[in-house]
Amino acid sequence: MFRCVLTAAALVLFAGSTFVHAQKQTIGAPPEASNMKLVGSNDLQARSAYQPTIHHQGDRWIAYIGHHGGTDDVPAPVNPMTGNAEANGTSIVDVTDPAHPKYLRHLPGQEGKYESGGAQMVRVCDGKSLPKGDPNAVYMLRTFGSEAHEIWNVADPANPALITRIGGLKDTHKSWWECDTGIAYLVSGAPDWRTRRMTQIYDLSDPAHPQKIRDFGLPGQEPGSTGAVPTELHGPISTGPNGNRVYFGYGTNKGGILQIVDREKLLNGPKEPTPDNLRFPEISRMPMSAFNGAHTTFPMLDMPVAEFAEDKDGKTRDIVMIVDEAILNECGEARQMVWFADVTTETRPMMISSYTVPEASGQFCQRGGRFGSHSSNESMAPVYYKKMAFIAFFNAGVRALDIRDPYHPKEVGYFIPAITQATDKRCIPVEGGERCKVAIQTNNVETDDRGYIYIVDRANTGLHILELTGPARAVAGLPKN
Amino acid sequence: MRRTVTIAVAVIALGASGVGAYQLAPQSAPTSAHWREIAWPFPRDGWPAGRAFRCEGDACDGAELYVRAKRGFCNCDSGVADDDEVDRVADLDLITPRFVAAAPGEVVQVGELQGRARRYDLALYDGARHAAVGVALSRRCDLFVAAAHGQGDPNAMQRAALVFLETREMKTWVTAALDGT
Repeated sequence: MFRCVLTAAALVLFAGSTFVHAQKQTIGAPPEASNMKLVGSNDLQARSAYQPTIHHQGDRWIAYIGHHGGTDDVPAPVNPMTGNAEANGTSIVDVTDPAHPKYLRHLPGQEGKYESGGAQMVRVCDGKSLPKGDPNAVYMLRTFGSEAHEIWNVADPANPALITRIGGLKDTHKSWWECDTGIAYLVSGAPDWRTRRMTQIYDLSDPAHPQKIRDFGLPGQEPGSTGAVPTELHGPISTGPNGNRVYFGYGTNKGGILQIVDREKLLNGPKEPTPDNLRFPEISRMPMSAFNGAHTTFPMLDMPVAEFAEDKDGKTRDIVMIVDEAILNECGEARQMVWFADVTTETRPMMISSYTVPEASGQFCQRGGRFGSHSSNESMAPVYYKKMAFIAFFNAGVRALDIRDPYHPKEVGYFIPAITQATDKRCIPVEGGERCKVAIQTNNVETDDRGYIYIVDRANTGLHILELTGPARAVAGLPKN
Repeated sequence: MRRTVTIAVAVIALGASGVGAYQLAPQSAPTSAHWREIAWPFPRDGWPAGRAFRCEGDACDGAELYVRAKRGFCNCDSGVADDDEVDRVADLDLITPRFVAAAPGEVVQVGELQGRARRYDLALYDGARHAAVGVALSRRCDLFVAAAHGQGDPNAMQRAALVFLETREMKTWVTAALDGT
């Protein structure tokens, strides 16, 4: 009897310790992982990280990583390579050997803290792919805080040279740049528009001489309009002249809209920002629940769906994966997650499935910081495209999804990095004061053509380079490792 | 007990810092208006429902006021920077999507919260035209918004609404709403 009681007590203690471990990350504890493993890492000088773009240039692989502004405690971290305090900007890291990433350069951004500074976004095109680019150049398009877009020549990634600046803005965000045409959809805050973020379309085929094509947004956002103002843009993704579609995501964590636009009409239609002209290129729009926003709208067109293989019609489907962004710490809002829309019949898009990390699997609402989705990888390289998606899920790390049947997405792996001394706290108001916790805040994820997965942390923990292991590799058709 | 003490301290602090602080009603003349709470009249949207009130007496008689917290605002450092922000967030669109600004907005402060207020003309669904005021205030990364509309004098309505928001009861509620409690 006494033995039974002891056993029961031990079980209770074990369960309790597991519960505590699941709730709170501690420095020195190992990462949590399933079918993913760490290959290498870099602390990114303890700067809060946003968008990573991985570019193959020559025989090297270079990671360009955008940063938010600094924190209240450290507004401008010291760059150990220069010894100077530098406002967060862009980290440039050689990841040719992913086990030993080499930090090449920090390019300072706009002064300012959190969302008010830094250089959050970055895209890269080779000069030889742009119609009028210098074939010896590699061009990095980045935001400069809220006030400008910049293009740098990063052919020598350790010594970037500024080429162009498009300034005078009140905000910027996640732009898209077609490397084969040079058309850029710059998420901007034009001073006279009623919304914080809309689209300025430029021809950047010659990066040294940007040519403005038009401004674009939802009717009601344009200058001079009155009444309710539609949800602001977060970012577009274009399928280029071949696909002839641009998928715009509006909203962040509220009132999301997926807008499908005819690219040809957008670029060549009437350009004056009147309500009629703004409606002209729109094929359809799908309003989402007021609870969720459309942070990333990632198209995956003409996907064969095994379940429909014997059907006379509809064997392949055009899918858009929509990722919301969680904003509030410790689950202070409706769950932000991942949605799959079937847009095969473009004028009648329909949500078909969703995915979220089960909260109870890690007591994520109690861990601290944000829990919920933020963004997906945006690489369309064949290694993962239409097979796997990687979702940055803040304190739940990165999640690897098998999306071959988008009607039934399945999680097949995850990785939650360990926290370090650099990991910043996240606080919520409580009873007139605040309570803070420290947890990983995986903000963004990108993949390269080799199949490496790059995740970056909003809470200053840096860059982690991962690879798939076990059954998850089979989903992507990768050889066993 | 601790919670009560904390709220009391917060109320005192807010009160001390906010006495007569708002600029749109600098002569915070006593008003005989009474704001009676009514049911929140709008369907569910992205933010939790707030509180609604109807003015009884004084020059704002019949006006309605809607207030709520909107937690999760990206402009944590710059706050409510311009009139466009008020157009976007102040909940005028709950009343009607057809509103036109009547004048440039002004800086406003209620307790510790700073932001802007702007006056509007509303075209209601039944053809009636109302005057309205939209208020957007920020505390770090959160917003507190108010919208009032009625058929009376817009200046009186605005003054009465701001006086009401400065009451101890409202400031306590606003603090709790912004804390998410």
